[in-house]
Amino acid sequence: MRQGEPTLAKQAGRTGRKFSALSLIRKGMRGGDWPRVWRHHDLAPTYDVVIVGGGLHGLATAHYLAQNHGITNVAVIEKSYIGSGGSGRNTAIIRSNYLTPEGVAFYNRSVHLFERLSQDLNFNVMFEQRGHMTLAHSDASLRTMRWRAEVNKLQGIDSEVITPEEIQKLVPLMDVSGQARYPILGALWHPPGGIARHDAVVWTYARSADAQGVHLHMNTEVTGIDVKGDKVVGVRTSRGDVSAPIVINCTAGWSSIISDMVGVKMPIHTRPLQAAVTEPVKSFLDPVIVSGSLHVYVSQTARGELVFGAATDPFASYSTRGSLEFIESLAGHVLQLMPSLAKLRLLRQWAGLCDMTPDFSPIIGPTPVDGFYVDVGWGTYGFKAGPVAGEQTAEAVATGRIPKLIEAFQLDRFEKGTLTGEKGAAAVGH
Amino acid sequence: MLLIECPHCGPRNSSEFSYSGPIKPRPSIEGLAPEDRAEWRRYLYEEDNHAGFATERWFHVSGCRKFLNIERHSVTNEITSVLTVGEVS
Amino acid sequence: MTEMRLPPQPGEIIDRNAPLSFTWNGKPLTGYEGDTIVSAMAASGVKVFSRSLKYHRKRGILTANYLDPNTILQVNDEPNVRAGHRRLEAGMNVSSQNTWPSLEFDIKSANQAVGRFLAPGFYYKTFISPRPLWPAYQRVLRRFSHGGRIDDRVSDDHYDKRYAHPDVVVAGAGPAGMAAAIAAAEAGANVILVEEEYAIGGHLRYGSADDLAALAELSARVQANTNIELLTNSVVGARYDGNWIMINQRDPGHVRERLIKARAKTLVVAAGTIERPYVFEGNDLPGVMVSGAVRRLVNLYAVKPGERAVVFTANTEGESAAADLAGAGVEVAEIVDARAGGDLVRAKGRTKLSTVEVGGRSIDADLLVTSVGWTTPTSLLNMAGSRPVYSEGAARFLPGDLPDEVLVTGGMVGDGTTEQLVAHGSAIGANAAARAMKIRARWQRLTPSALPPETADTAEGSVPDLKPEAHMELYRASTHGFVDYSEDIKSKDLISAANEGYDLMELNKRYTTVTMGPMQGKLEVGNAVAIHAEATGRSIADTGTTTWRPPYAPTSLGALSGAEMNPVRYSPMHRWHVAKGATALVAGMWIRPEHYGDPAGEVRNVRNNVGIIDVSPLGKLDLRGEGVPKLLNFVYTNKWSRLPVGSVRYGVMCAEDGVVMDDGVVGHLGEDRYLMTTTSGGAGGVWNWIDDWLQTAHPEWDVTMTAVTDGFASINIAGPKSRELLSRLTEVDLDKETFGYMKVREGAVAGIEDCVIWRIGFTGELSYEVHVKAGYALHLWEALMEAGQDLGVAPFGVEAQRIMRLEKGHFIVGQDTDGLTKGFSLGIDWAIKLDKDDFAGKPELEWQLADGARSRIVALQPVDPTVVPKEASQITEGTEIVGRITSSRMSPTLNKSICLGVVADHLKDPGTIVDVRLTDGEIIKATVMEHHAHFDPQGERLRG
Repeated sequence: MRQGEPTLAKQAGRTGRKFSALSLIRKGMRGGDWPRVWRHHDLAPTYDVVIVGGGLHGLATAHYLAQNHGITNVAVIEKSYIGSGGSGRNTAIIRSNYLTPEGVAFYNRSVHLFERLSQDLNFNVMFEQRGHMTLAHSDASLRTMRWRAEVNKLQGIDSEVITPEEIQKLVPLMDVSGQARYPILGALWHPPGGIARHDAVVWTYARSADAQGVHLHMNTEVTGIDVKGDKVVGVRTSRGDVSAPIVINCTAGWSSIISDMVGVKMPIHTRPLQAAVTEPVKSFLDPVIVSGSLHVYVSQTARGELVFGAATDPFASYSTRGSLEFIESLAGHVLQLMPSLAKLRLLRQWAGLCDMTPDFSPIIGPTPVDGFYVDVGWGTYGFKAGPVAGEQTAEAVATGRIPKLIEAFQLDRFEKGTLTGEKGAAAVGH
Repeated sequence: MLLIECPHCGPRNSSEFSYSGPIKPRPSIEGLAPEDRAEWRRYLYEEDNHAGFATERWFHVSGCRKFLNIERHSVTNEITSVLTVGEVS
Repeated sequence: MTEMRLPPQPGEIIDRNAPLSFTWNGKPLTGYEGDTIVSAMAASGVKVFSRSLKYHRKRGILTANYLDPNTILQVNDEPNVRAGHRRLEAGMNVSSQNTWPSLEFDIKSANQAVGRFLAPGFYYKTFISPRPLWPAYQRVLRRFSHGGRIDDRVSDDHYDKRYAHPDVVVAGAGPAGMAAAIAAAEAGANVILVEEEYAIGGHLRYGSADDLAALAELSARVQANTNIELLTNSVVGARYDGNWIMINQRDPGHVRERLIKARAKTLVVAAGTIERPYVFEGNDLPGVMVSGAVRRLVNLYAVKPGERAVVFTANTEGESAAADLAGAGVEVAEIVDARAGGDLVRAKGRTKLSTVEVGGRSIDADLLVTSVGWTTPTSLLNMAGSRPVYSEGAARFLPGDLPDEVLVTGGMVGDGTTEQLVAHGSAIGANAAARAMKIRARWQRLTPSALPPETADTAEGSVPDLKPEAHMELYRASTHGFVDYSEDIKSKDLISAANEGYDLMELNKRYTTVTMGPMQGKLEVGNAVAIHAEATGRSIADTGTTTWRPPYAPTSLGALSGAEMNPVRYSPMHRWHVAKGATALVAGMWIRPEHYGDPAGEVRNVRNNVGIIDVSPLGKLDLRGEGVPKLLNFVYTNKWSRLPVGSVRYGVMCAEDGVVMDDGVVGHLGEDRYLMTTTSGGAGGVWNWIDDWLQTAHPEWDVTMTAVTDGFASINIAGPKSRELLSRLTEVDLDKETFGYMKVREGAVAGIEDCVIWRIGFTGELSYEVHVKAGYALHLWEALMEAGQDLGVAPFGVEAQRIMRLEKGHFIVGQDTDGLTKGFSLGIDWAIKLDKDDFAGKPELEWQLADGARSRIVALQPVDPTVVPKEASQITEGTEIVGRITSSRMSPTLNKSICLGVVADHLKDPGTIVDVRLTDGEIIKATVMEHHAHFDPQGERLRG
């Protein structure tokens, strides 16, 4: 089957699961419930592939295994509810204006998949391409922005350095007066960037995977992975054991712990990444705004809330409790950019867990244990990579070959000393 | 904001400290041959990232500027021991 | 509109002698001092305060306090004001939000007619195709966004912060909270008592005569106790790890809001309970209220909530509300008692309540009061790691296990008479004090001090039982109604979402957005969980509650930010630069002179005469002891053992992964005495990094390090006439033979003792860098300007220095290098000595040399010397990137464009022609040069 073909929409049409304005009206008139988006299953004794982690990456991998490779005897094992980890805690930013050619190619594929996702899988993920703006407050960061723009343009990506005057037109509330402590000197402007509804992206892949026969097991925790010789043979869970020749670690936050189960050590440390949201106000901000120097990014959701994020916490932790110093510095930095927001109130803060690698690039592919694959180490980029990571992981697993798009992201690069250069732009990239 | 009981300064906010992760001994580089790259790069890149107590290196950068060995739980953030590097409990 | 103000009530808090004028949607109204915005409006007969999010239904008072979802209003330039809480002030311009064109006639109320198509998640199912129309759909959806508007003017309000170190923080000043604060204070603890309302007392404030008497007594004891700091109209927003408590003090005077950060030894949570609305058809009609709303309106504000009421109750609070209504002259048509089988079916009315349907009968009424139970606001306890436990018998969640430093009392624990609540609060307060004293003593022992530690009684007493009363599990009637008023979510919606597959509470919440609006579940979570449980056939206990996240109450960005405090670093000569019209350059924390008007002219003056530049931000470390050469050998890639006294040497630092992290020069000033300089940006990092090696790896090395970046200012005197200039101000022998290139001397300059003078050549000219005690630096600077007038001395800025260093081919770490540049990519192999025993990054550099560097820094000369490719222009072979321009300028000295760049290994040989892609896409050619230096590659000038 050809990649990206809107197969599910067709299937769904036949089974009465198709979503459209018309079906919405029909349902509204007749009343009654919609068919279930996914089903409950008993744990089968054997699967061809077990995916650990029912977040965006695990579910996308399951979907592409089924759609692109016909592998449907697949279980996705999730210890809580689907999307309960990083997939439901990120700030839903999508972009492809990375620094390295490998990063740009990879995330560009993701943007393309996002652009068609709603139609392909018949579930509106509300991808709003309102533009992504990375501010530069020093000539050094302006130089990095230009570096990114030049690398981006070479791959045909819409990405350009713009002036403070152009910034002001796009964001009227921005203080570009030059009077700020860290004046705005310019920005990297990336029109295809934007935000989507993160939960919807999770649900659309879950619904599609389920429709193709994948089993979703929520509230099921992986407690161990069985290895015979140097081959994976199965997974132990809180609901019983299953055998499987292939296990994929698609977790975030707990990826070291899952990999430890088969004795594969990871160059990963886990840090909380906090985020916060304000009360809703009338729409006034179109693009996503990022300031690396001020460690903040801001977007306004369709609901009117401002969503904020910043750099990861200053020390490693598995805590998702959040901190006061995070919202204090966040507020200070937001007000430096847009001083008229002082009376806007912060409604809620939360944290997700980020698996940081030494070069701010993921680890995606096989490991020294036969049959044990990883799709981990996403740092702060996991959401925007979800579709392409799923597609590429599925291809690597199904074909046994490493696709070109992920060649640079292999685990052995750390031993070989061939790290990627993404760290340069990553301080707060989002 | 964690509270770290610095042996030199008393209880202080964690924002006065900088963090450099679980303690990793530096391999001796005496006679480190090209084939030992894996060992060296494990030292550079591999992380003990388990959920639970670990002994970590912190630096009281905005205080006494002493490097400390701190035992902290990576889920609860509970701190059970703070010692100056070189000091034994 | 009818006047609804009652005659004076016993507990009223309004001042009838102080009328206040304000406007509501442009119409003038009056209230009294002490009124909330809502009570003043209700007294004037306002019934409809807002329109709902999706269906644009008219909404009236529901709870008449902070948590009222229907009375969130715009006040002047402030959006989303909780008007059920906010005190009325004269001159307020109050307006409704989310209405167009007006509150009374709202076009989007047409959505009600199509309401059944707007079920939660409808947007996921539609607007999918055709794809090109999606941007237009987006604009429509964004119009739906709720909330007030941001004023684009920047107000001049001020905010500030405070650190507090109390023994005990008590959150909530109802009877139990007041008692806890008093008991803790009497045990010697310093207490901060925080109350969200404008006055303390909790539910006693709108209670009976006995309640008011009890309140008066407790209040007097709180006020009289000097160990208690009372904060009203303030809220404990969060409890973080380490009992780090966030308190938002609203309108404390002088500033708009103050954020207090308290390191509380113990926290007592006495937040009381929140009354739950009941779910039934028509439960959002204006005129339907919870019992607490009625009690507050009548007793505190003397407002008549309606004319003819039906009261639906399952507890004594409903009875009290009915009594209050009767006392206020409201006709109570019927009290429907759920405990006796009374059944509220639905409420009806076109735009406000007109009839109530009860067990098959219809009763005309304009007011329907419900009293069906409470929610425990466990927010602060959740943040302390406690998981609430559901009690079927009490029909509410109760606190779970708590850490020692967090205690709970009052309605959150159980129900009781005022005496019982006070007794429980007192016991908890005393225990909170005892635990706090234990921690206080420990911290005193740990803190270096001459004072002996205090001794205090830390024995804990027993705590009397406080049990929740039995209560019916009453969440939803036989009909469907609104669960989440702010999000417009009905019970039916939650059930259909669960049936569709979103059958775990968190999934249902995320799909329908129930509890995700401004109330964050405080009002609606009990009903949401109960209805989700109903839909899935699980118990409420198994369903569990959603996670409460900080902050407890929305907190303004202004308060969180506080006053802007961004430290700035200035050199001692800063004001001189400003006076001379220098253009400021923000360089990290430093503000530096970029140029004084003509950077090219500054370059020419240095090349021809002499210039001086302020390089004070250079990192400077004073190193002493026998072990310094060992340290230098370890942190730099080159050799230091034989650096004689009186010499300086350049060195590169690599991290353990071989990546270049800093460079600088070190001078050997005297026996066991060195001065190290680092890049300005690397100053702090290098200082810490060296301390790390000295303390954790090599404590045996005898090295004492002192950071002197701020202690010494630095001035570089550069140009062919620099020797002449300096010689006019110093007795130090500047003879070119004895004080040659890369030498250092100490001596007096311009009368200032102990200056360090060294000869280096970043600009490529004969130059002297003088490190002078910062307090005298301006004097030296002015003396140089004065003494060099006839030599043509002029200041030069960072830009001229950058041009000259590029002409000279000196790279800048961080600009010409990046996060992957290892030592041998610098193109200065002579600076890396692999025959040293050990140094930071040595193995990686050995392997880099063995494998061959993948890239190199080279000088590049555009073939067309008039074109200056912008920095970061890519060097390409076809579509492949094989390098980039890292530095580029038009050289005023050579009158041509010059560059440094990084190229792939196969392009590094001199004479190679590479393609440089300009930012407009044009490709130009550039030649790889033999030397990094475009100008004076042999270094004759700097050695002169």
